[in-house]
Amino acid sequence: MWKSELAAAILLTLAVGSVHAKDYGIGRPATPGEIAAWDTDVRPDGLGLPKGKGSAAEGEPLYEAQCASCHGSFGESNDYMAIAGGVGTLKSDAPLRTVGSKLDYATTLWDYIQRAMPFTAPKSLTADQTYAITAYVLHLSNIVPLDAVLDQNTLPQVKMPNREGFTLKHGLGSVKGKPDVQNTACMKDCEKTVKVRSELPADFTASMYGDLSQDFRSIATMSKVSTTPTKPAAAVAASPAKLSAQYACSACHGIANKVVGPGMREIAAKYKGHADAEAKLLAKLAAGGAGAWGSVPMPPQAHVPEADRKTLIQWILAGAPD
Amino acid sequence: MSDPMRIRASVVGDKVEVKVLMAHPMESGLRKNADGSIIPAHFIDRVVASCKGKTVLAADWGPAVSKNPYLSFRFSGAAKGDMVSVTWTDNKGDTRTDEAAIA
Repeated sequence: MWKSELAAAILLTLAVGSVHAKDYGIGRPATPGEIAAWDTDVRPDGLGLPKGKGSAAEGEPLYEAQCASCHGSFGESNDYMAIAGGVGTLKSDAPLRTVGSKLDYATTLWDYIQRAMPFTAPKSLTADQTYAITAYVLHLSNIVPLDAVLDQNTLPQVKMPNREGFTLKHGLGSVKGKPDVQNTACMKDCEKTVKVRSELPADFTASMYGDLSQDFRSIATMSKVSTTPTKPAAAVAASPAKLSAQYACSACHGIANKVVGPGMREIAAKYKGHADAEAKLLAKLAAGGAGAWGSVPMPPQAHVPEADRKTLIQWILAGAPD
Repeated sequence: MSDPMRIRASVVGDKVEVKVLMAHPMESGLRKNADGSIIPAHFIDRVVASCKGKTVLAADWGPAVSKNPYLSFRFSGAAKGDMVSVTWTDNKGDTRTDEAAIA
């Protein structure tokens, strides 16, 4: 397993190195001012802390004015915003995570207050105010006395109660760590065949936001494409000529001439004037027949829907118009 | 013996504002533990605050008050530097007194 860690480290090194090694011909180097604007983090050893100082006693009125309304005058508040107390509860059923019980470095507290607090006006505190409030919050957890003065040199030296409490022996901390979940794949009683149990209508996603071609944004790539759901074509009465092709009537019967069976118009001519012609031919169509036009039999066509059969016969008797 | 109270007293206008955080389990006597037996009631039933020998606040509390109770009150007739003392007594007879100077 250590190999994969090593490999990851090498990859990281290569990735960082390649930024300088390869010029993509775009952009420009960041100016020192731009880097300073982004480089705002404060590290456990104090790197990144600005000059300044403040005492816990100075922090008290600031804390009362800006912090106490949420965190409580003594940092007691509720489970979510308490910042004092809870020492020793981290492994209990109801862990209370506070500055005193969880935080491993005091510099993190300074960084967090400076960047994120007060909640309604983050970054509004000066460096000195942040040192003072940090000192007071540490005092609420009995980590520093009320007269303690913290600055960029003394803050990193504050020893937090939970300094040694963090572990990397878990899945996120190390590739060798114990993961939170055990991925035991279920490979029994598997379904043999895939069945689609339900699906969305065909145009459901396309028309989710209406017809995009009606959208007024002219730059949108979809602006020329209508996404209106394609409605199934209304059942148009199929023309008898098409029906005759569909059911392969025209394979044996020409319109005018005999192919294998008699031509449509020949049939019309033969039965012209017979009142029962339609019923007779319908019966022949369903049952099949032979002899009237030659020895080649006409196979039964009962599979053709009755309505279509009727349409076809009427069309033939009318002389198979185009 | 329980943990000390946190007391802060400060002059606000012509009055003194006192804030107290007491460390107490405040068991109501209605909760059950993991094996279903009732956790015995254990709560503060009397709080007394005094300043310069005079009682400025006396309260009878019951099981409805939360764990680690927070109490804030104001009184007049004291100046900066005077000592405020707060005493609680619970239903088991335990008691604790802490004091702080008015800032």
